[in-house]
Amino acid sequence: MIGMLAAAFRRGVFSIGILAIFVLFVGPVAILVLTSVRPASGAYYIWRGTAFTLHNFVDVMQQSQVVKAMFNSFVLSSLATIFSLGITVGSGYMLSRFSGWIQRSWFATIYIFRTVPYISWVLPLYLVNTRLGIYDTYIGLLLPHIAVHVCFFSWLMKGFFDGINPSMEHAALIDGCTRWGAFYRVALPSAMPGIAALAILCWLSTWNEFLFALILTGQRTPMITSTMAQFVTETGTEWNLMSATAVIAMLPALLVTIFGQKYVIRGLRM
Amino acid sequence: MSIETGIRRTLALTGILACAAVASPARAETTLNVCYINHPVQVANVAILEKWAAKQGIKINKTLTSYSVYLPKITQMLSSGATDQCDIVWNNDDWGQDLAQYLEPLDDVTNARNAAEGQLEPFHNADGKTTAVSITTTAGILFYRTDLIPEADLPKTWADLVKISQKLQTEKKVKWGYVGGMSYTNTFFSFWWTLWNNNCDIYGPAYERDNKKLAASGWKPMIDSTCQIQTAEFWWDALNKDKISPPGMTTYSRDEANAIFQAGDSAFTVADTTFLGTFNNPEKSTVAGKVGIARFPEGPMSTGGRTWIDIWGWSIPKTIPDDRKVAAKKLLGAMLSDADGQIEQWNQTGGPPPNTEVWATLEKNDAGWRKLYDILFKSAHVHDAYYFRNWSTVHKIYSDTMIRAMKGSRADIPQVLKASVDAIQAGAATK
Amino acid sequence: MLLLIAPAAVVLVCFQIIPILVGMNASFRDWSLVNPLKTWVGLSQYVAVFTDPVFLKIVLPNTFILMVSSVSVSLVLGLGLASLLNKSFFGRPLVRTVILLPLTIAPVITATMIRWSFNDQFGVITTFLAYLGLPEVAWLSDRWPSFTLVILTDIWIWAPWFTIILLAALQGLPPEQFEAAKIDAATPWRTFIHVTLPMLRPVITVCVLIRSIDAFRTFDQVYILTGGGPARSTEVFSVYVYVQAFVNLDFGRGAAAAGAGAIIMLLVGVGLYRLVNRTMVRSR
Repeated sequence: MIGMLAAAFRRGVFSIGILAIFVLFVGPVAILVLTSVRPASGAYYIWRGTAFTLHNFVDVMQQSQVVKAMFNSFVLSSLATIFSLGITVGSGYMLSRFSGWIQRSWFATIYIFRTVPYISWVLPLYLVNTRLGIYDTYIGLLLPHIAVHVCFFSWLMKGFFDGINPSMEHAALIDGCTRWGAFYRVALPSAMPGIAALAILCWLSTWNEFLFALILTGQRTPMITSTMAQFVTETGTEWNLMSATAVIAMLPALLVTIFGQKYVIRGLRM
Repeated sequence: MSIETGIRRTLALTGILACAAVASPARAETTLNVCYINHPVQVANVAILEKWAAKQGIKINKTLTSYSVYLPKITQMLSSGATDQCDIVWNNDDWGQDLAQYLEPLDDVTNARNAAEGQLEPFHNADGKTTAVSITTTAGILFYRTDLIPEADLPKTWADLVKISQKLQTEKKVKWGYVGGMSYTNTFFSFWWTLWNNNCDIYGPAYERDNKKLAASGWKPMIDSTCQIQTAEFWWDALNKDKISPPGMTTYSRDEANAIFQAGDSAFTVADTTFLGTFNNPEKSTVAGKVGIARFPEGPMSTGGRTWIDIWGWSIPKTIPDDRKVAAKKLLGAMLSDADGQIEQWNQTGGPPPNTEVWATLEKNDAGWRKLYDILFKSAHVHDAYYFRNWSTVHKIYSDTMIRAMKGSRADIPQVLKASVDAIQAGAATK
Repeated sequence: MLLLIAPAAVVLVCFQIIPILVGMNASFRDWSLVNPLKTWVGLSQYVAVFTDPVFLKIVLPNTFILMVSSVSVSLVLGLGLASLLNKSFFGRPLVRTVILLPLTIAPVITATMIRWSFNDQFGVITTFLAYLGLPEVAWLSDRWPSFTLVILTDIWIWAPWFTIILLAALQGLPPEQFEAAKIDAATPWRTFIHVTLPMLRPVITVCVLIRSIDAFRTFDQVYILTGGGPARSTEVFSVYVYVQAFVNLDFGRGAAAAGAGAIIMLLVGVGLYRLVNRTMVRSR
């Protein structure tokens, strides 16, 4: 009897917990979505009045290059993800499996330069891009994004590889695998859930990045975030249109998240 | 599909896309890049430019930039001498002096000089040539609810403003009397319009903007003077004692203030004149058709009403090739000579036509214009900025000081203001 | 072996290190954004930053409060959520997606939305709290309420980040040890403390290290929610740099402030680095 009560109690607490998660995580998103279907006159007082409209979405699609910007952002985020991961799988593995002055200085370098806030080097970055003639191009936006991701990915990758017992690789080496083979056949598959998680995070952070998109692009390569930011003017924000754009931008992000999660949960080793 | 094939396919696809994207588009005949902000008046003015560009065989590329990064980005572009990004840029009096050295003199543009007196001076370069031509004149103005306040009863003084507001509030006709932006960069819509209408300013002598004269009097801050203390006390009372303004107003930008006014929760606000169109637009405002414009109420020490008017302009970078300079100047001249286009801009957005000759036409046919003109131009003027290098630093110090005074006790106001005298004076000293 | 880091190193040098060094060069010069004279002024910009009472008494304490509270709460929440999602229960796929929602919205948009939602007049959340009869709080206009709001927003944005990484780490753990714990009839809590946590430690350490640096230079949330106000009382490190470089247009001073922050974070980092090394040794 007491056991049943305890189980019921535990189930109750569990359900309340899940409910709380829903309220806390869905709530703010719901506010955003609600704003996006309110007419301009009700974009701030969203709880007052019952007028709803899809006009904001129509407006946004018509007046700005949202479709082109979405396409640009999608390509950029995907490329940044692929290259960043491709580059850092190696350096993360190296940091995890070898140690020496190179590793230590690599760590120190990444650490020191990550502490500098973006706003103090985004203007020099703009000058570097202008000098190299890659201002307002894909490459000019892609490479800085990779540079930023390289830092923290190398470290997280290292964390993931650290969590994998190296004895399996030793076994593979003894079985006649090359170092590369041990890495590819043993370490990499084990780290797959981690890599998939990083892929999601990388894609989303590139998709949602504002500062680089604002400073490093012009009219040739509009990004979804710089398109959103255009609704901020000297005399105020067109919040209804900005939130509608944000909601449109959420959809691809949501798809990538859902798709990517399958790999986080179902790592290759399972 | 396994992950590997998935990744391989995505790689191949993205590779193709990247190559397609990198290949830059071929340039047309003469192309001019116009860099500006997505503001209704600028958009309307660009429409005029586009109309004339089509006639002159010029292709226009529109580069919209977010206001949040516009200044740093444009200054970097100009000071690095990049020539491939913007041929015509938006300019405003706040930065006019700083940017003048990088900009082409525009005195030879047709009708360039047809601007209200004293308006182009902030854009003058060292030789006294203007580096900008007008897009429109911007100004702040008092908006009120015509359904609540008859024109004859409009407030003449701050005391009237409080009295009328409190009456409407007790009658439950409106939640608040006055709402306006107060946070940094929105200082104009609360602290400053009252300051300038209380015979007061940031530096003495009041309303002077000539750096030589200001320097001669030692850049004397007025922040501890009686006229300024009265202004601070008026706002402290509005927020804390008379309660005619919402308590959170110290953090409001134009967004919050306009939202509250447009929702019908406030009887008065001060905002840019261009909001007349927005406030009376039923799609954007629930008080559409019930909003009028009026003169600023004056403070106890006022010797006459005062408004601020300033120009938004177009400028051309010095470094672009001559053929594009010529084309850009011709295009701007065409815009300044296009009376119909400018009247259309006024009708659509409430942004006054850039060419003052057009004003005469409006004076004859447009009652709305006559009213605006009466309020804005038939009164004394003040520039809404000072023109020295660290002006924005001083603006920030001023804003922080006033907000600190608003959050403290009323008795401490003189002390809080006095504490910033040195910082404001030091701010004006050129390094 | 060097080949493994070469591509990363090249990109890093060109697009992060060089721009940062260009910026740091400005910190030794009189370098206004609109009028770069670029005359050498030695360390005077740094002296000005380190003797600025606002920097020492407001900016640094705020920055560390934000860093410590945001990172620790997000970590605990992230751990909790990740362990929850590692179990199977009805509706798990839905909960998993819901938890990641904050990551699908740009932080700039999130912060803006939170700012409107907590407005004292039209904020949908303040209105709802007032409807429930809770006392009114000046969420945005008083120092501590607004700073709390900044921290909460930061946690909302970053807890999912911890969740997804820790969940991945949990998924990658070898199942043998959990089976051993089960045979020993250890309670779930004891299993978590004695088996799960030690194995997660490398990932947790790296996460904490990275998030600490990033939290140290949080910008968007603070800038949008409070602008550093009222009267600079909620200013944090990045906002201070922004005010110097983009409001005062003094790029040199801004760069010096950024450099000063980097130096401070480096000192903090030495402590964290020791921690990393120690846990690395232990986890081998």
